[in-house]
Amino acid sequence: MVEGAKVKNEKLLEIYRTMVRIRTFEKATRELIKKGVIPTRMGFYTGQEAVAAGVCAVLKETDQIGSTHRPLGHLIAKGCDLKKLMSEICGKETGFNKGKAGPYHIFDPSVGALGANGIVGGSVPMVLGYALAHQLRGDGGVAVAFFGEGASNQGGVLESMNLASVWNLPLIFVCENSSPDVQTMLGHKINYPQISVDKISSRALGFGMPGDTYEGWDVMKVYRAAFEAVERARSGSGPTLLEFKVHQLTGNIEGSLEFFEDESMWDPIRRFRRELMFKGALNEEEDRWIRTSEELKVKEAVEYAIGSPEPNVEEALRGVFVEE
Amino acid sequence: MDERPITFAEAINEALKQSMMKDPEVILLGENVTSSWRPTTKGLLEEFGRERVRDTPISETAFIGAGIGASILSMRPVVELMLVDFGLVAMDQILNQLAKTHYMSGGAVKTPLTIRASYGGGTSSGATHSESLYSLFAHMPGIKVVVPSNPFDAKGLLLSCIRNDDPEIFMEHRLLYDLKGHVPAEDYVLPLGEAKVVQEGDDVTVFTIGRMVHEAIQAAQELKDKVSVEVIDARTVVPLDEKALISSIEKTGRLVVVDEDYERCGFCAEVTAIAANKAFEYLKAPILRVASPNVPIPYNPTLEKRYLPNRDKIVSAIKSVARYA
Repeated sequence: MVEGAKVKNEKLLEIYRTMVRIRTFEKATRELIKKGVIPTRMGFYTGQEAVAAGVCAVLKETDQIGSTHRPLGHLIAKGCDLKKLMSEICGKETGFNKGKAGPYHIFDPSVGALGANGIVGGSVPMVLGYALAHQLRGDGGVAVAFFGEGASNQGGVLESMNLASVWNLPLIFVCENSSPDVQTMLGHKINYPQISVDKISSRALGFGMPGDTYEGWDVMKVYRAAFEAVERARSGSGPTLLEFKVHQLTGNIEGSLEFFEDESMWDPIRRFRRELMFKGALNEEEDRWIRTSEELKVKEAVEYAIGSPEPNVEEALRGVFVEE
Repeated sequence: MDERPITFAEAINEALKQSMMKDPEVILLGENVTSSWRPTTKGLLEEFGRERVRDTPISETAFIGAGIGASILSMRPVVELMLVDFGLVAMDQILNQLAKTHYMSGGAVKTPLTIRASYGGGTSSGATHSESLYSLFAHMPGIKVVVPSNPFDAKGLLLSCIRNDDPEIFMEHRLLYDLKGHVPAEDYVLPLGEAKVVQEGDDVTVFTIGRMVHEAIQAAQELKDKVSVEVIDARTVVPLDEKALISSIEKTGRLVVVDEDYERCGFCAEVTAIAANKAFEYLKAPILRVASPNVPIPYNPTLEKRYLPNRDKIVSAIKSVARYA
């Protein structure tokens, strides 16, 4: 098995930092929603950080991802600029998409974040095209399709698995199963199950590709699984389906400016920090430095977004076509 | 230019071939596109190889999505829908993703995909194999809708679609594939959004598109000693050449809109609304629509004939509006 055992401390800390960045950014985003600065409600990724951080740590800037309507983790892990990201969520002119996308439709081609999607499973068929372009150009690039357990039942997702497999595309399907024990939808315990199998990854067999299920709260398990799948894709051996079990943590953000943390064993950040400290890769002081510096970056992003101008109102009617 | 008579299908084939020769990033995806009995894609596999000319599974959502994704990475994919009706299973990819992505991304991303789709009634194929549906795509902002009526336009408009930075749906009427016309052998593009006056006249404007252009010309011929009819081929539903429409009404004062798609909320309704809003002062008669009734398309040939717009229905509409002085 892969380089897993000898992942350098530097890489581990980079992954940890990404996870902290995602959580800190989301915390700030929740606060801005409460204050009415952000004009929408949105899906959050809190508790799933290990998946985005672990998978994207294996990717290059020239690889692409397709995301979901819990996109912040994926976008941040893929390297999106925090200022432009927060500006977009605030609907500002300086956002990635001039304030027209909002959180559910963000596209940042400069880092291959293509893109968040408001339709459950909607981005997955497009990821086929990213992978196809890499295959045709022979540039060794890969593409990752992030989706949730709900999307795993969408026809487009299942069709995409078949097409990726028959065309042997350099693509990794990453299913984040956020109700691995009790089947829920938007926190509601549904009265019929929605998944017909114990493991969503077992559906890979039906499409002729490898697939397995991992604990998505353990970032090193995510990283190793992603490393192997990405290597397989890059070497021309085709797609893989990775299922990561995750728990969405809501936590308490009332009035506290301290780093938000969930006490449960499912919190991937808390878990990874303990692991890093046990290994001697991180001490208390370094940890404080990482958290503080990420808080500072997020604070700057918030200030930038708040200080940015609203888009010109006429922009509402522009840009339907390239050649209008 | 070296022009020869070739068929509508051969004109499309030539446009595909010339665009693939010029640009290695042009690829073709679709069901059975490598089949030798399909004249529009004949010979492309042999010339460009299986990497670029791909038969897809019967998975419209997946292969249209693949086309969109490849276009976002700046390739020039052409995706073929065997029949436009089959596009209905992939509406999320077409209407939510393909149409909206450029706008939603604030221009950060382009989707220069061309969807080719054959369409149309008259072959006794029933309600899910005979539709036109271009109005459905025209309704969603973000897709250009191109409906050529003859080989010359088909080639020039398709080359334009493939090279254009916007997404298009390019509609090919099944009964036009064998139609012959003079087509330059050279590579040429026609602008999207320019209608063509195919027959000049002074009394009544017939504004139409696609195969109905031919029915309209026949209707005009039939009436040539009684009514001077101007026939305009819109060529594209989106963008729509409003200027051509309005200036013709300014001359004739009477308008009949002819369209093979369903009447309700469609091409006819749109053209009628534009005429009512922007050419009201020139109108001498009510605007009439000749379109497919708001009913699914029947299979039985006699019923289908009763159902589809045709020369006779156009003739009677022209006569009705011509009565107004």
